[in-house]
Amino acid sequence: MTSATPPAAPADNGPLLRVRDLAVSFDNRDGPRIQAVDGVHMTVHHRQTLAVVGESGCGKSVTAMSALQLIPRPPGRYDRGRMEFASKRGPVDLVALPEARMREIRGNEIAMIFQEPMTSLNPVYTVGDQIMEAVLLHQEVSDRDAFEIALQAMKDVGIPEAERRIKGYPHQFSGGMRQRVMIAMALACHPRLLLADEPTTALDVTIQAQILELLRDLRETRDMGMMLITHDLGVVAENADVVCVMYAGRVVEYANVLELFGAPLHPYTRGLLNSIPKLGERRERLLTIREIVENEAEFKRLPGAQGGIRPWWPWHDPPADLTPHEGPAGDYHLLEVRPEHWVGVWRTRAIEGHEGRLPDLSYRKPLSEPATGAAAG
Amino acid sequence: MGEPEVKVVRSSIGGGPRGTGEPRSVTGVQLAQGIGVQPARGFWADAWAQVVRRNTARFALAWLTLVAALAVLSPLIANGHPILLRELDADGSVVAVTSPMLRNLSAGDVLLVVGGLAGIGFFVMARRLSRADRLGVVLVSSVAVGLTLALTALVFSILRGHGDEGVRGWLRWGRVVLGSGLELSAGRLLIAGAIAAVCAGLAWLFLPLRRGRVAVVVPLAIVAALVASTWWVKPLQTFEYGEAVAAGRASAVYTLIPFSPSQRDVRGDLLAPGGHAGQSRRGPGREIVAGAPRHLLGTDSLGQDVLSQLLHACRLSISIGLVSTGIAVMIGTTVGATMGYFGGLIDLFLYRVVEVFMSVPVLFLLIVAAAVLPRNTYVMMAIIGCVTWTGAARFTRAEFMKLRNQDFVQSARAMGLPLRSILFRHMLPNGVTPVLVDASFAIAAAILAEATLSYLGLGPEEQPSWGRLLSDATNSVGDFVWWLAIFPGLAIFLSVLSYNLLGEALRDAIDPKLKKARV
Amino acid sequence: MITYIIRRLFLMIPTVIGISFLIFMLVALSPGGVGAALRVAGGGATEATNRAVQEAYLEDRYGLDAPVIVQYVRWLGRISPIKFGARGQIMPTGERVSAPKPLAEPWTRAWLGAPLPAAPRGAEPWKAGASAEEKSIAYARASDAYAQDRAAYVAARTLYREALGPYLRSVGLSGAIRGNRVRGSMLADHTPDRASAHWAAIEAAGARMLTSYQRALASRADLAAAFAARPFPQAGVPVVPGVVSVAWPDLGMSFARGRPVGQLIAAALPVTIGINLIAFPIIYMVAIPAGIAAANRAGRLFDVVSGTFFVALWSVPTVWAGVLAVGFLANKDYLGWFPVTGLHDAGADRMTYLPSPRGDGTWSMGYLVDYLWHVCLPVLCLVYAGFAVLSKQTRAAMLDNFNADYVRTAKAKGVEARVILFAHVFRNSLLPLITMFASIFPAMLAGSVVVERIFAIPGMGSLILEAINLKDRELILANAVMIALVNIMALLLADILYAAADPRISYS
Repeated sequence: MTSATPPAAPADNGPLLRVRDLAVSFDNRDGPRIQAVDGVHMTVHHRQTLAVVGESGCGKSVTAMSALQLIPRPPGRYDRGRMEFASKRGPVDLVALPEARMREIRGNEIAMIFQEPMTSLNPVYTVGDQIMEAVLLHQEVSDRDAFEIALQAMKDVGIPEAERRIKGYPHQFSGGMRQRVMIAMALACHPRLLLADEPTTALDVTIQAQILELLRDLRETRDMGMMLITHDLGVVAENADVVCVMYAGRVVEYANVLELFGAPLHPYTRGLLNSIPKLGERRERLLTIREIVENEAEFKRLPGAQGGIRPWWPWHDPPADLTPHEGPAGDYHLLEVRPEHWVGVWRTRAIEGHEGRLPDLSYRKPLSEPATGAAAG
Repeated sequence: MGEPEVKVVRSSIGGGPRGTGEPRSVTGVQLAQGIGVQPARGFWADAWAQVVRRNTARFALAWLTLVAALAVLSPLIANGHPILLRELDADGSVVAVTSPMLRNLSAGDVLLVVGGLAGIGFFVMARRLSRADRLGVVLVSSVAVGLTLALTALVFSILRGHGDEGVRGWLRWGRVVLGSGLELSAGRLLIAGAIAAVCAGLAWLFLPLRRGRVAVVVPLAIVAALVASTWWVKPLQTFEYGEAVAAGRASAVYTLIPFSPSQRDVRGDLLAPGGHAGQSRRGPGREIVAGAPRHLLGTDSLGQDVLSQLLHACRLSISIGLVSTGIAVMIGTTVGATMGYFGGLIDLFLYRVVEVFMSVPVLFLLIVAAAVLPRNTYVMMAIIGCVTWTGAARFTRAEFMKLRNQDFVQSARAMGLPLRSILFRHMLPNGVTPVLVDASFAIAAAILAEATLSYLGLGPEEQPSWGRLLSDATNSVGDFVWWLAIFPGLAIFLSVLSYNLLGEALRDAIDPKLKKARV
Repeated sequence: MITYIIRRLFLMIPTVIGISFLIFMLVALSPGGVGAALRVAGGGATEATNRAVQEAYLEDRYGLDAPVIVQYVRWLGRISPIKFGARGQIMPTGERVSAPKPLAEPWTRAWLGAPLPAAPRGAEPWKAGASAEEKSIAYARASDAYAQDRAAYVAARTLYREALGPYLRSVGLSGAIRGNRVRGSMLADHTPDRASAHWAAIEAAGARMLTSYQRALASRADLAAAFAARPFPQAGVPVVPGVVSVAWPDLGMSFARGRPVGQLIAAALPVTIGINLIAFPIIYMVAIPAGIAAANRAGRLFDVVSGTFFVALWSVPTVWAGVLAVGFLANKDYLGWFPVTGLHDAGADRMTYLPSPRGDGTWSMGYLVDYLWHVCLPVLCLVYAGFAVLSKQTRAAMLDNFNADYVRTAKAKGVEARVILFAHVFRNSLLPLITMFASIFPAMLAGSVVVERIFAIPGMGSLILEAINLKDRELILANAVMIALVNIMALLLADILYAAADPRISYS
C-alpha cells in the first residue's frame, strides 16, 4: 500500500507517461465504427504540463480517459497501442492493466478532473465524504485522519472556511468552488500524474484564471506531471510546456510551447494560431482555419516538402507515392521534421529511412519567462 | 522527383479519409461534419422504424390488427342469422331467397364498416400528406366521432333519468318516427349538434392539417350528430331458422360461426368447448342433435356461444381503448396546455382540480361513476375518459412550462401569431411526445378498466364483453368454469400486453434519456 | 420541515372537499337517486301510504328533499371537525346523536282553522339512576318514535300537497306549488273558496296533516327533553361553550347496515392495510434487485428477458389472475392448495397466535399462519403487476445515473464497480423510486378492491363495492374521503422521504 507522504523529487530518468500508437474506436449502432483515436503518440514528464489541443471530437478526451480505462467497453474498444506509466511499483501498460490493479492507480497515482464541475460531484453526499472516499480507498488511515487529510486538501486548493464547508453538499457551492473541490479530491492522494480534461471550460473567465494558477502552483509543489486538455490556445500559451495538436484522432504537430507558437509547421496548427486575434496587431480580418487548410500552398511550406514530405490531412487524397505500412494507420507517420518538433505526415517514399524517434520532450518552460505573446487572448 | 500533386477534396466527400466508397470507420471530427451519419428520416418516421424493428412490437401490431379487423367484421363472421335463406316449398323448389344477416345488421355495424372503409380509403388516397399526418387525421376523426357519441349518450342518459318531467320531455320534442324502428327528434338533434360542435372544435385544434380542416370537420360533425341523435329501436331478435331447415322448408347458408352473441341456447348453458347446439350438459338432453353446429369454445351460463361473444367483444375492446384515451388526451392536453402556458392563478386553480382527481385511485372513481350512471358503452367511454385525463394534463403542463420560455415560442409571440397558432401549431407538436408515448399505456389501462368494471358487473349491458364473460367463470356456489376463465382472460391479456409492448417500444425509441450516446 | 408538513395538511382540506363534492354530485345525479336500492317496491292501495311514509322517512332522514347543494353542505357540516351549536352525544352503539331536528310548520294552517296542537309532553323518559343501557334503549325508542311521527307528518304533508294541487289549478294559482314544496307566501293573501268541489279532499288531508303534526310535535318534545338530559357522553371538546366545539368527524350511519359508518371503516381499513403492508415489501424486494440487475446488464439477454417477462406480468388483468388463482389453485376440483375465501378459517378466533401442539399430538396452525395462508393468493394477485412498474423505473433510473458525470468521477477515484453501483448509482436512483411510491400506492389500493371482491375479504374494497351496489351514500362518501386521506398521506410521506434522501431539497 502507498503512504500519504509525497514521493521524493525524482531524478528525471524517463517519462511519467508514454503513449505509443494508441487507437480507440467505438461501436456505432447505425453506422460505421467511430475511430476516435488512431495512432496517437505523446509523453508526459515530471513537473511538466503537456497541453493537448484540438477541436471537439478530435480524440483528446478519449486519450485521457483511456489512461484510466474510463472508456466504457462496449461500445468502446482499445484497438492497439500502449500507455506506459511509471507507477510507484514499476512501469505498467495502462490500457492492458487488469481492473483490480487499475483501481489502485486511479485517483491514487493518476487523478483526473473534468470539464463539468456542476455534475461531476455526487449530489447526495457532502463534499467531505466524497474527498474522504478517495483517501480511504488508497491510504490506510482512520476515518478521523481521512477527514483531516480532506480538510487539508480543501485548504490547499484555497477553499475559504473549509472546516464549515467540508460538511456542505455540492449544490451549496458555486461552479468555481466545485472545481476546487474536484481538484482537492484529485490531489488528496498526491497523484504523480494529473489529467485535466478542459478544467476551466465551464467556468467564467476570472475563475478560469484562478483555477489555472492553482493548478500551476500545485504542479510545482507536488512534483506532478500534468496533461492539460483544452481547446483554448490562450490557456496553452500560459500553462503548457509541451503542446500536442490533434486532429481527427491523430497527432498533427508536437513541440515545446515556444517552438510551436513561434514556428508552427502543420497548416492546421497555423490555421489554429491564425484564427486568434493578437494584441497590438492590425489586420483587415482574421483568416479562418478553413482558408488555410484549403490552400494548397500551405501544404508545401513544410521543411522537406521539396523532397516529397507532405503534411498528413484526412481530407486530402493520399499522395501518389504513398508507401503504407501493413495494418491500420500505416499511411501516417509522426515525423521529427526538425529537432524536437514533430509533424504528422503521409508515409510517402520520401520519409523512408529517416523515420527517427517518436515524440518525447522533457522540456519545461522556465517559470519566470512570460508566454510568447503569440496567443495572449 | 517531381512535385507530388496535392488534390484538395472538400469536406463534402462521401468516402472515407483513405480511399473512396463507404467508410469502414469514421473519426469523431468527420462525424461532427456529418460524415457517417445516417440520413435524417424525421422524428416520428425514425421512431416508427425503431419500433417495428422489435419482435415484440411486431407481435403487438399483428394482434391489434387482428382484433381491429375482427371488430369491424365480427357480424360477418359470427352471426346467428344465415347469409342466405332459401325458402322451399313442398317439392323442394325455391320460393324466395332472403338474407336475414343483412337485414339484421345494426346501424352501428354499418357505421363501423363504412367508417372503417372511409378511413382506409383516406389513408390510401391522401398521398399528399405524410403517413404520420394521415394516421393522425384518421385517429383524431374517429376519436372525435367517438367522443360525440359518448358524450351524447352520457347527456341523454342523465336527462332520461332526471326527476323533472319537463326535462325528460326535451328528448321527445319534435319527434319523427322513421320506418324500421328508427326514431329522430329535434330536441335530441339540437343537443347532439351542440356536443358535436364542441367535439368538432376540439378535433379542429388537433388535426394535423394546414388546410382543409373545415372540410374534414364539418361533415364529420354532421354525421356524428345525426347518428348520435337517432334512437334505434332494435327489433326483437329471433333465430327461428333451425326448425324450418330441419323440416325441409328452407335451406340456409351460415357465416363461419353460426351463432350471434345474444343468441341463447335454451338448454345448453355452460356447454364445454365442442358441445353441440341444442345439447344439454346434463339430464335427458345429453344426446347430440344430428347436424347441429358445435360451440367451439363452449357456452356461458345463459347458453350463449363463447367464441361469438369473444369476436363481437373485440369491438368494445378496441373502441373503448381508443375513444376513452382519445377523450382523456384531448381534455388533458387542452387543460395541461392552458395550465402550462398561462401559469399563475389559472394554473393554481386547475391544478387543484387535477389533484382532486388524483386524490383517489382511478378505479375507485370509475366504480362509483359506473355504478351510478347507466350501463352503456358510450357512457363507459366517457367515464373512463373523464376520469383518466389527469396524466395527460400533467405531462402537457410540464412540457409547456418548459417550452413557454424557449426562443421559438417567444419569437412566435413576437411575430404576433394568434394564441391558437402558438399553442397548437408551435408548442403542441413539441410538447405532445410524452403524452403520445403515455397514450399507448393509457389505452392498455382503459381496456383493463373496462374488463375490471365488467367483471364487477358494472360494464355495458347491451354488448358482449370479455370482462363479463370472465366474471361468469366463477360463481357464488364455488363452481369454476375453465373455458370462461381461459379464453376471455387470454384475449384481455393479449390486448393489454400488445398496447404495453407498443408503448415500451415507442418510449425506448423516443425517450432521449435512453438514447443518450454513452461515449 | 414541520411548517411544510402543516401546510400540506391544510392543503388537504380543499382536496378532500373537492373529491367528496365530485362523488356527492355523481351519486346525486344517479338515476333513481340515493338509497334507491332500499326503497320498497310494492303495489296495492293500502301500501301506497306505507310507501309514502317510508320514502318520507328516508328523504327526511337523509335530507333528500333539499337541493343537492344544501344536502352537500349539511354533509360537510357533519364531517367537519369544527361544530357549531349544541354538542352532539355519542350513544353506546357509537351512533352520534344531536339535538332533534326542528319541525316545519304545516302549510296554510290558517285555512284549516284547526285548534293549536296540544301542549308537548316533554317528560324525562327514564327514572333517576337508570343504567346507561336503559337510557340508551329509552332514548332510541324516543328517537324512533319521533322519526316515525315525523315521517308520517312528512307523508301526510305530501298527500295534502297533492290534494291542494287540483284546487290551486282551478283558482289559477298553480304556480304556488313548485316541485315538492308549497310557497306559503303566495297563498297568504288568498281567501280559500270553501265551496269548491276540491275542498272536501283538502279538508280531509289537512285534518290528517294537522293530527300527524301534533303527534310529531309531542314526540319531538319528548326527544328534546331526553337529549337535554344528556344521557350519553358529549362528543368533542367545547371551544366556546354552546356555540363552537371541536369533535371527531361524524361519518353518519350506513343505510344498508344500520351501523355507524365509522365503525364499518374502522373494521375494514386494517384488513386492507394489512394486506398491503405484506404486499409492498414483496414488490420492492423483487423489483429493485431485478431492476438493478437489468440495468447492470443493459441490452443483454437478462435485461431483455426480464423486461419482457415483467411487462407480460404487468399486462395480466388482476381479475384474470384472481379468477385463475381461485379456479386452479384454490378450487377443490383442481389443486385446492389454498383456501378460497376470507381471511381466516372458521375456528380462527379459538386459535393460539403461534402454531402450537394440540392435545392429540397434531399441530394447530395458529392464528398467524392461518392468516398468512389465507392471504397468500390475494397478496400474489396484488404484487405481480407492481414488479414491472418498479423494476422498469429502477432500471431507467440506474441507467440515467450510470451515464452521470459523478459516476465517472467516482470511477476516476478508483472506486470499485460494485461500490459505484450501490453507493453512487443506486443511492441516486433512490429518488425516483421514492416518487414511484406515489404512483404505486393508489394502484395498490385500487387493486385491493378487485382482489378483495374475488377472495371475499372483508376490507375496504368489499365495503366500497357493497356501498355502491346499495347506493349507500354515507358509506360511499366516507369511503371516498377515507381513501383520499390515506392516499394523500402516503403521497405526503413520499415527499418527506424524498426530502430526507435528497439534500438538494429543503422544504423550509
